[in-house]
Amino acid sequence: MSTSKVALITGITGQDGAYLAELLLGKGYEVHGIKRRASLFNTDRVDHLYQDPHVDNQRFKLHYGDLTDSTNLIRIVQQVQPDEIYNLAAMSHVAVSFETPEYTANADGLGTLRLLEAIRILGMEKTTRFYQASTSELYGLVQEIPQKETTPFYPRSPYAVAKMYAYWITVNYREAYGMYACNGVLFNHESPLRGETFVTRKITRAIARIALGLQDCLYLGNLSALRDWGHARDYVHMQWLMLQQEQPEDFVIATGVQYSVRQFVEMAAGELGIGLKFEGTGEKETATVMSVTGDRAKCKVGDVIVKVDPRYYRPTEVETLLGDPTKAKQKLGWTPTVTLPELVREMVESDYNSARRDNLVKSAGFQAYDYNE
Amino acid sequence: MRALICGISGQDGAHLAKFLLGKGYEVVGTSRDAQLTSFGNLERLGIARDALTLCSMAPTDFRSVLQTLKKYAPDEVYNLSGQSSVGLSFDQPVETLESIATATHHFLEVIRFLERPIRFYNAGSSECFGDTPESGANELTPFRPRSPYGVAKSTAFWQVSNYREAYGIQACTGILFNHESSLRPARFVTRKIVRAACRIQREGGGEKLKLGDLSIQRDWGWAPEYVAAMWAMLNAPGGGVDDFVIATGESNSLEQFVRHAFECLGLDWKDHVEIDSGLYRPTEIRFSRGDAGKAQRLLGWRAGRSMRETVEALVQEELAEGRR
Repeated sequence: MSTSKVALITGITGQDGAYLAELLLGKGYEVHGIKRRASLFNTDRVDHLYQDPHVDNQRFKLHYGDLTDSTNLIRIVQQVQPDEIYNLAAMSHVAVSFETPEYTANADGLGTLRLLEAIRILGMEKTTRFYQASTSELYGLVQEIPQKETTPFYPRSPYAVAKMYAYWITVNYREAYGMYACNGVLFNHESPLRGETFVTRKITRAIARIALGLQDCLYLGNLSALRDWGHARDYVHMQWLMLQQEQPEDFVIATGVQYSVRQFVEMAAGELGIGLKFEGTGEKETATVMSVTGDRAKCKVGDVIVKVDPRYYRPTEVETLLGDPTKAKQKLGWTPTVTLPELVREMVESDYNSARRDNLVKSAGFQAYDYNE
Repeated sequence: MRALICGISGQDGAHLAKFLLGKGYEVVGTSRDAQLTSFGNLERLGIARDALTLCSMAPTDFRSVLQTLKKYAPDEVYNLSGQSSVGLSFDQPVETLESIATATHHFLEVIRFLERPIRFYNAGSSECFGDTPESGANELTPFRPRSPYGVAKSTAFWQVSNYREAYGIQACTGILFNHESSLRPARFVTRKIVRAACRIQREGGGEKLKLGDLSIQRDWGWAPEYVAAMWAMLNAPGGGVDDFVIATGESNSLEQFVRHAFECLGLDWKDHVEIDSGLYRPTEIRFSRGDAGKAQRLLGWRAGRSMRETVEALVQEELAEGRR
């Protein structure tokens, strides 16, 4: 008989799900994950954790499921009997939420309610702890700088509005039914596992490919947007900590340091020896290569490698986000360990390796696809 | 001018229909199944069936909303539909969210899709605030909802805000504090109290009125005045692009409400009321007061009836109803 704790992670195939699963397995947990059905394999990020279902004492299991299906959620929670549920599943792309607002509300807002209801329906309110992945996007048009646990929300996208529902319904179930349920209000957190359509990964991937001549130019939206970026591995540690306390509480998780998208691009290019100069404003802004040092980048001085494409502007922009993680530090002793320059280096190195692999494949006469966002 | 009132069979829908007809509007009213709905509230206000158009529309069905707005081409849309009971929202949280937020989203998306200058009124709620400051909540007070109903109404508020800012839609939310009339269904505590008090006076003392927490404080106003504020918001300069708190600015405990209702009938509430802890809610708002200063400044609106006058009017109407 195993006495280890059991965790259920929704969104296990995503960036945070993968890091959290790794963390929990390392702590001796039995980890269950929910993945959506697809005709294609979609488990790249957790394949290294995968265990053959036929071995004994399997500690990592995946279940088919969907936050839009309440009967499915009830069934999985009943089977798994988790001590802890981490709700990381969501339609998590702000720009896409303007295209699919109703699906976003269904999966992100209603999906959270369905999970909370599954816990209640199964009578597990007092035994199962619940973590809700909240987001700095709730602050949107920021009402104070920096943002902390007491800052009022002003959501600016269908994604943020849906996540705001999930935030408050989690608070309500904690207060109404005495559940151990809490929100981690996470500011942007990145890693080499970040989805390729998110701006940070789009940048590091493009810079690596431009350096190797696989791509000519990187097109971006609002270069002046200011964000507080941390490393996803640091942040999932905090998610776990939040469920190990005596009382459930909500926490802001951030670094407290802010950079612009433009600075992120400069840092990423710098990693490969590319010096950039930004010129022009608004839609006319471009970045030109001013210097190339070392032997990793093949681009030439004078190449214009970054341009603005207004299609990436959002109907309502969030211009600035800066978190104040004081409460997390004081109450849980949590501090981020990775700075943005370190994070950028890790992401660029990883994407540079992938780009080199694509380059090799191409030079050997095979096809490598150029996926573009 | 043509107005579409969604949720016309409810308290506010009926009062608003009467108000807009009085202003010479052509009124179209919707209900999920207009064939089966009784429209008793319209009858009670003396609105003849041929004074307006009634049609079926399901706000949670995008096609249904699209067809209705296309067919009737209204200048103003008032969305008063949706699950409206805080108590019930604890038992039907999903239905509450869908009937409130999915529906609001459909209206906004249809208006965007049609590219017509339709002005949209969204029925917000003081429940979004949860407990309010002693001085009263205004338009800048942050939300801190305490029920699935309050969370859903907060969501709808921000959907409206986002569509207004992202797409320039003429839409606004009226954050209305409690507003009562004899058209309230009996599951709402105000109607339940007045009804029971009148029955006890008529039929004698055997009955006990069971109530939950009497110490909660609310800002109660008179519903017919509140629907006038809805119209004023959509007809403010700029055309309905600003949110407003609508309230009396006065708070009273439920006990004061009960005492006054029984006093109007010459009764002592203590002889007839029993506390039933089964009626307590999982999470309850202790204190609620609104500050409608902005509505007074910009819309010239202010509440006319106090809580005591509202209670007196409710008792008079209930007695008249009983005689009939």
